[in-house]
Amino acid sequence: MRSALTKKDFVKIKILSNKIIHNASITQDPNVIYTAVIIYSLSKIIEREQYKEYKNWGSFYKEYSQCINHLITALEKDDEVEFQKHVDFITDRIDSLSGQLKIYIKDVFQKARVNKASRIYEHGISMEKTAKILGISVWELAEYAGQTGIGDVNLGVTMPLKQRLKLAEEVFEK
Amino acid sequence: MKHLIFDSGPLINFSMNNLLHILIKLKKEFKGDFLITKEVKQEIIDRPLTIKKYELSGIRLKELFDRGIIKHANLSKKQVDELRERREKIMQTANNLFKTNRGYIHLIDKGESAALALSQMTEYSPLVIDERTARMLCENPENLRKLMEKKLHTSITSNKNEYDLFKNFKVIRSTELIYIAHKRGMIEIKDPRAYNAMLYGLKFKGCSISEDEIREMSRL
Repeated sequence: MRSALTKKDFVKIKILSNKIIHNASITQDPNVIYTAVIIYSLSKIIEREQYKEYKNWGSFYKEYSQCINHLITALEKDDEVEFQKHVDFITDRIDSLSGQLKIYIKDVFQKARVNKASRIYEHGISMEKTAKILGISVWELAEYAGQTGIGDVNLGVTMPLKQRLKLAEEVFEK
Repeated sequence: MKHLIFDSGPLINFSMNNLLHILIKLKKEFKGDFLITKEVKQEIIDRPLTIKKYELSGIRLKELFDRGIIKHANLSKKQVDELRERREKIMQTANNLFKTNRGYIHLIDKGESAALALSQMTEYSPLVIDERTARMLCENPENLRKLMEKKLHTSITSNKNEYDLFKNFKVIRSTELIYIAHKRGMIEIKDPRAYNAMLYGLKFKGCSISEDEIREMSRL
C-alpha cells in the first residue's frame, strides 16, 4: 500500500480498498471500513488529475497520504486510540478546507461510502444493515446497487417467477 | 382484515420511480391495510426529509402516510412489547445463523427484523421486500450461505436448525405489485412499453430481480 501511495498508483489503491471491504463484510469493523473508504477516496482523487489545480491541493494531499499511513499502522497495532486520533484529524482537515476543493473531497467521500456499501451488500449483508455500517441512507444504496448486477446472480433467484406471481395474485384476491 | 407489510425498499423504489399513484390504486384493490413499522417510517420519511436529494420523495411518502394509504399497525402496548421481543429474536437468530472462522456474520438489522416480526404477529401476512438478503433468508437460506461463501472466499457453516424460523414468510417484490397493476389495468400510460419500463425502473432503483425474470414478466 505504501509503495502504491508513493507511486500514486490509483488502480492498486482501489484494489486494496476492495480487499479490505471483502474482509470487513465479515467483521463489520467500523475502523476497517472507514479505512477502506478513505483509501478508495484517495484512489478517486488521484485518478482525476484536474483536481490538483485546486488551491491548497498540495498540502492537503500530503497530509491525507500521511494520515492513511498512520491509520494503517494503527490498524496493524490494533491501536484504537491512535486510529481515532487520525480519523479525527482527517475529518477536521476536510472540514477546514474551503471552496471547490472542500465540495469535491466531501463528494468523493460520500460516493466512496456508497460504493463500499454496494460491495458489502453484494457480499450478502442486508441493505439496511449495510447502509447503517457505512452511515448512508437506504435511498443512496438502493439507487447505486440497482445499477449493478447484484439482482442477476443465479443464487439470488429463490423462487420460480410463476410461483411468485401466483403468490402476488393470491395476495390481491378479493 | 388483510395486511400487506412493506419493507423500506419497495416504498423508496415506488417513490423514486414516481409510481406512488399506482400504490394508491393497489391499496383500493387490496381491501386491507398496507402496514409499515416505525423503523421503516424512519427510513422512508424521517431520513429523506433531511437529505435534499431525496426530500421530495420523502414528502410524497409522508403524504401517503398522512392519508393512511400506508400506516402503522394498530397495536396495544402489550403487542408493541411482543413485536419488540419477536424483532430481537429474529435479528439474533439471523445474525447467528452463519459462522466463519472469524465469527458470526451479522446479516440483517432492526428494520428488516421488525417487518418480519410484524408479519409473524399477523399470522404471516405477506411482505413486500426488494432487497436480496432478507428475501433469501426466508426463501432459501442455504442459497444465501452458498452465495456468501462464494463472494467472501471463505468457508461458512450454518445453524440449519434455525432455518425453520424463516420458512413461513411470504415475500413479493415491487415488481410483482406492478405486475398486478398491469394485469388489472391500473397503469394509465397508454404506451405499451410502459409496463416493461416500470419493471426496469424498479430494478435499477434496487429491486433484486434478474433480467431473465423481467423478460419473463414482460411476456406474461
